[in-house]
Amino acid sequence: MKVNKMFSVKALFLLALSVMMVLVTACSGGGSSESAAGTADEKNEDGTYKNNLTISYASVTDPSKADMNDKFHKYFTDKFNITWDYNYIDWDSWPEKMRLWINSGEMTDFASWNYVQGDAVKYIDQGLFYKFPDDWKERWPETAKAYASTGLGERLEEKVGGTYVLPKPVYFQNQPADPLLNQIGVIALRKDWAEAVGFELKDAYTVTELMEYAKLVKEQDPGKVGSRLIPMSFNAGDLLTGFVMANNEHARVESAFYKGEDGKYTWGPADESTLTGLKLMQQAYKEGLLDPEFYTWKNSEGGDAFKVTGISAIAGLGGLASYRQDMDNAMKKNLDLDSSEVVHEALILGEDGKYRNLEQVNFWSSLVFSPDISQEKFERIMDMIEYSVSEEAQRILNLGFEGEDWKEENGELVSLLPEGTTLEDKYPGRFEGLYVLGDDFSVINPSIKKEFRDRSVELYKEKAALSTEGGEMAVYDWDFQLYTSRSKDQANFDYATEYANLILQAGDLEENWKKWVESKQSLVQPVIEELNNEFAQ
Amino acid sequence: MKPTAASSGMSKGEESKFKRLFVEIWKYRMTYTLLIPGLIWLFLFAYLPMGGLSLAFKEYRANDGIWSSEWIGMENFKYVFRDPAFADAVWRTLYINIIKLFITFPFPILLALLLNELRMRRYKKALQTAFTFPHFLSWIIVSGIIINVLAYDGLVNSFLALFGFSTINFLGSEQNFYPMIILTDIWKSTGWGAIVFMAAISGIDQEQYEAAQIDGATRLQQMFRVTLPNIMPTVTIMFILSVGGLMSSGFDQIFNLANAATQNVSQVLDVYIYRITFQSSTDFSFSTAVSLFRSIVNMILLLLADRAAKWMGGDGLFR
Repeated sequence: MKVNKMFSVKALFLLALSVMMVLVTACSGGGSSESAAGTADEKNEDGTYKNNLTISYASVTDPSKADMNDKFHKYFTDKFNITWDYNYIDWDSWPEKMRLWINSGEMTDFASWNYVQGDAVKYIDQGLFYKFPDDWKERWPETAKAYASTGLGERLEEKVGGTYVLPKPVYFQNQPADPLLNQIGVIALRKDWAEAVGFELKDAYTVTELMEYAKLVKEQDPGKVGSRLIPMSFNAGDLLTGFVMANNEHARVESAFYKGEDGKYTWGPADESTLTGLKLMQQAYKEGLLDPEFYTWKNSEGGDAFKVTGISAIAGLGGLASYRQDMDNAMKKNLDLDSSEVVHEALILGEDGKYRNLEQVNFWSSLVFSPDISQEKFERIMDMIEYSVSEEAQRILNLGFEGEDWKEENGELVSLLPEGTTLEDKYPGRFEGLYVLGDDFSVINPSIKKEFRDRSVELYKEKAALSTEGGEMAVYDWDFQLYTSRSKDQANFDYATEYANLILQAGDLEENWKKWVESKQSLVQPVIEELNNEFAQ
Repeated sequence: MKPTAASSGMSKGEESKFKRLFVEIWKYRMTYTLLIPGLIWLFLFAYLPMGGLSLAFKEYRANDGIWSSEWIGMENFKYVFRDPAFADAVWRTLYINIIKLFITFPFPILLALLLNELRMRRYKKALQTAFTFPHFLSWIIVSGIIINVLAYDGLVNSFLALFGFSTINFLGSEQNFYPMIILTDIWKSTGWGAIVFMAAISGIDQEQYEAAQIDGATRLQQMFRVTLPNIMPTVTIMFILSVGGLMSSGFDQIFNLANAATQNVSQVLDVYIYRITFQSSTDFSFSTAVSLFRSIVNMILLLLADRAAKWMGGDGLFR
């Protein structure tokens, strides 16, 4: 009896303890979600915000060097009476992390999201994004104007019946050319080395011409780099753009499915012109013009070989003036070189002499909001976005503070930052440029050298002219882009990796390419059939 | 009214069996009480999540959750089997794991047998620690080391170049990929795997060795005639468990050592599942369908291995 009594006390205690431990373990970590409803944002009589709000935001801007108490960050936190809970996402894991957070309902209050049409429709359908109030365009009119300039926002609204996503405008006030082509496809080459090996400097080269230059550099080593020399420091993505897209504008994921002249959809990677690009890629690899392990390179390694270690003759650059300025800074800092003296920018042409690129739709990535966000927080964030779009904020975001970092002289903006420094050096980790992308202001930004800005605009104009006068521009096909289906999701390939793999395989490239095209048909054909049923003329 | 054996549908034998079990449990009730947290843990974290497998037959919608999402029958499997990359991944996984099974499986046994023969206790412990240590390094670290050592400008190729030999493309070669993953697997897991066999060896009755010595058996004969037969039941169980994991190849290892050049030989099922789940448009139902397929094949292989072991006169997992 005594034993039984002891058992019951001990056993019950043990049982209760174990159940509690298991439940605590099982249930811990679940965050509490705020109500989507709630009160409107309150303001004081002087227009300042009454309550300090902690706002969580996820984006790919690295804040590791940021001082959140510096003048720049404080300006925004004070102005909007907020405390940031900033969540940095590494560039390479951006899509994955956002997928996880969105699907698990663990999204930050708002986030910068790499827009994917299929996912967007699914997420909206499943209530994973916050639906904007119907009158948002009247309440935040400048944001609405920028939103309208993207083209996507209103089309998506029609499809899903409301606003759930704010696509980020690439250009708003300062569009450099019309039609606007994608900034990709601009390369940097060492002009001092070109002069040393007797290679002519031009605005555009065919891939074969660039390979000729690379061969000359390899033979003569004008930079005395020795065995470390990488004539063309292209990673798999650069090769896709520089070699394959130069010969087939439908070789990339953005335009792989396109409407042919017969009005029917077809798959670009199966075009003969893709093979032309692949053959050149393989030739460059076999002739030792590329790094023997280019396929292991991460995002910036190709560019670093050019601007940081100075062992490359040609690298992918991109068409934004800010990229050129970054290159200038890096070369000055690491190689003690004035990039204006040693860098030449150029476009790449296909083997038939035609220029090819993608039409740049005026958005890149987007802002999305947690479905659980409170009304107060949503309104505060929208106020911030509305302000960030204004001319005053654009100047602060991109130039710093008037009189301190820049001044206006005879109607021209003049940077006051010390020579060779940027606003990023002074105020690192600026993520407050929430909506309009920096591309827009980079056209007029005086902290970027004028020659770089002018050259960038010049190349945009040249791209536009080349693509409309005898060139090939892959138009942004809204029918295809807004179409969502499971088959389309499944036929989404990583073309840069696939092409790199094809040129590295043993055996005949053409045979391997044909086999590869055949192997993809079970996924590609259903998409083509669906698209033709839906949109073919 | 107290139910009788006949009324409850149980024979007398069965009834007394249950009664004996109940009496046994009651007798050791304190010990059984201690089992409860483990059982709850097992239920919460091993059995309850199995409900999520129903996703394989549903179209998952986050707002509906796992339980309320719409049933779509075998639709997900239709998409799974349409993808040629899936079939490739299945065969590649089996291929890699069968090779791994036959090449790497004997190494821990061999190591355990050899360590058992060492008489200097400290030396034995030091060796055991050295062999076990790599297990505690994550594959990300190991892969980083391997890549640095085997890259074109890495340690091995620098030595080759120094002595006038031509360099070798270790990382970008399909032919070198399998040897690389097998060798790194042996290096990393042999010491850890040997622990189970060392434990089995320590349980062998010492009188058997004494008897063998009296009969004049050499050390090698003792190893093969006494030690090895005694650890065979453990070897069989470990083999069966390994066969049960044939469809799951080490994701961390392959994912971190693979690159575009080795894509055709490295897309195993785990990498395929990762790619379709996190690197392409979100479709958790599709990923679950693939995972379920893998688990079913693993279960079948496990049962077959168990049967084969019994058929060959050994002990199986399920008695």
